Amino acid sequence: MERLLALWVEPLVEERPDGSTLRDYLRVLDVLGVICPFVEPVRLGLCTLPLRGPSRFFGGDEAVFATVRQSVRDVLGLEVSLGVAEGLFCAELAARQGVVLSAGQTTAFRRAQPLSALGHKELATTGRRLGVYTVGDFADLDAARVAERFSASVRVLHRVARGELAELPGQRDTRLVARLRSARGEDVLRDEQVGFFGQRTAGDDRAQAAAHRVRHRLGPEGVLVARLHGGRVPEDRATLTPWGSPSPNQRDDAPWPGRLAGPSPITSLHQPVAVELRDDHDEPVRMGARGSLSAAPASLVLVRGSRRGVVWFAGPWPLVERWWASGRRRAHVQVLLDSGEAMLLSAEAGRWWLVGIYD
Amino acid sequence: MVVHAQPGLGGLSVALSLLSGASAKGHWAAVVGVDDPGVVAMADLGVDLRRVLFVPRPRGAWAEAAADLLDGVDLLIVRPPSRASHAAARKLMDRVRERGTVLIALTEPSAPWPLPVDLSFHLTSSRWIMSSRLDARYVTLRVGGRGEAARRGEHVVMVPDAQGRAAAR
Repeated sequence: MERLLALWVEPLVEERPDGSTLRDYLRVLDVLGVICPFVEPVRLGLCTLPLRGPSRFFGGDEAVFATVRQSVRDVLGLEVSLGVAEGLFCAELAARQGVVLSAGQTTAFRRAQPLSALGHKELATTGRRLGVYTVGDFADLDAARVAERFSASVRVLHRVARGELAELPGQRDTRLVARLRSARGEDVLRDEQVGFFGQRTAGDDRAQAAAHRVRHRLGPEGVLVARLHGGRVPEDRATLTPWGSPSPNQRDDAPWPGRLAGPSPITSLHQPVAVELRDDHDEPVRMGARGSLSAAPASLVLVRGSRRGVVWFAGPWPLVERWWASGRRRAHVQVLLDSGEAMLLSAEAGRWWLVGIYD
Repeated sequence: MVVHAQPGLGGLSVALSLLSGASAKGHWAAVVGVDDPGVVAMADLGVDLRRVLFVPRPRGAWAEAAADLLDGVDLLIVRPPSRASHAAARKLMDRVRERGTVLIALTEPSAPWPLPVDLSFHLTSSRWIMSSRLDARYVTLRVGGRGEAARRGEHVVMVPDAQGRAAAR
């Protein structure tokens, strides 16, 4: 199997809600694209490239590492952790540990990893009880025994542990490429001719013609259409995409566990705005580790400096998403201000963000 | 038609709720000048998003964009970024009459609509109903206008209600 060079950029793993993480990640991909055209985005904070070609070109593995490190330093001022292994599962672990494996060392490396590296809590717990501590111990279990004792998802992990599969299910963020494309404005303008339900009415034609004129006037981002998909909070469930861009494969409006209940804000901020929430003593209100607030909010300070009294609040509703999907930890709070305005705030990355307004 | 409200009182919800009936019947609508539309809330209001065009940031060209769209949609909501000029408002209203479309201008006290309209909703107050979260909001609005508005006077509507819809009380 081919040796992969994986880059782990810790500060880009937790996505900041202002879009800067995605932009920074894109810059990393762009600069790596100069070194090797086969860079693969895996998920935020992690990407890979095949090592063989660049190594020949630059004159050795060490030369590639130095170039990659320097490039990331140049564009973001950040240090990157590099790892080399065969297969994405091991390449990620190697990058997070800063380990470079030669050809043929990957199996031993994989087997030595703790069972928790497979990212399945229940398996790790059960494994401990059974005296199965490492990926190698788990790999040695008989497949039939694993099948009778565990769920289908664990059977897949068993194949990863044995080296039969090179990556964990869900290790890649499947939405990432589409997000990167749209961040870069690469949406191809097409399929304007396709009507809804496959048939077009005169009304559809007129609307499309008008949209055309407005886009001509304002540019490709001027006219947008909305799409809904799965997600727990309103700001995740909707996307506005340029009119005429291809429709991404989307999940339907299926029930989504843990969805924030009650009415959604009629204004949902595309780019959340940083705000401050203060208590009675004008101290910042913080989200505690156990999902509670440090104090009741008494006022909301917008970055512009204007301040409103908080007359009522509800929440927090914590939201912990699967680490391999996004690694985001958020909690939402509703506040009613003395001006009569109601707002939805989100705590993320150690601060508060205004994400919605119930105008 | 004009929906006139202090920001935060519920004017945007009232205006967007007016799209739901027509959009459910298959009519097209456009929303101009509403920068960050809460499309989940719109869907809850009953708006069919497949037939809504959004022009969130028309910058200086809001009146031109609105005029373009009036040729193509049956309902148009426009929130002018600043006070609409007499001439721009006149032009749009003339076009509305020609096309037989509906124009809903969402305005606020600092920038009222410069011309008299057939029907207007002035939001005078609103009140949230809360439990462990925001549940619903009563909005009081004064109906006016020079047309044959049958239900002049003050009305209370619930928008959003507990399901995110608009409901007469």
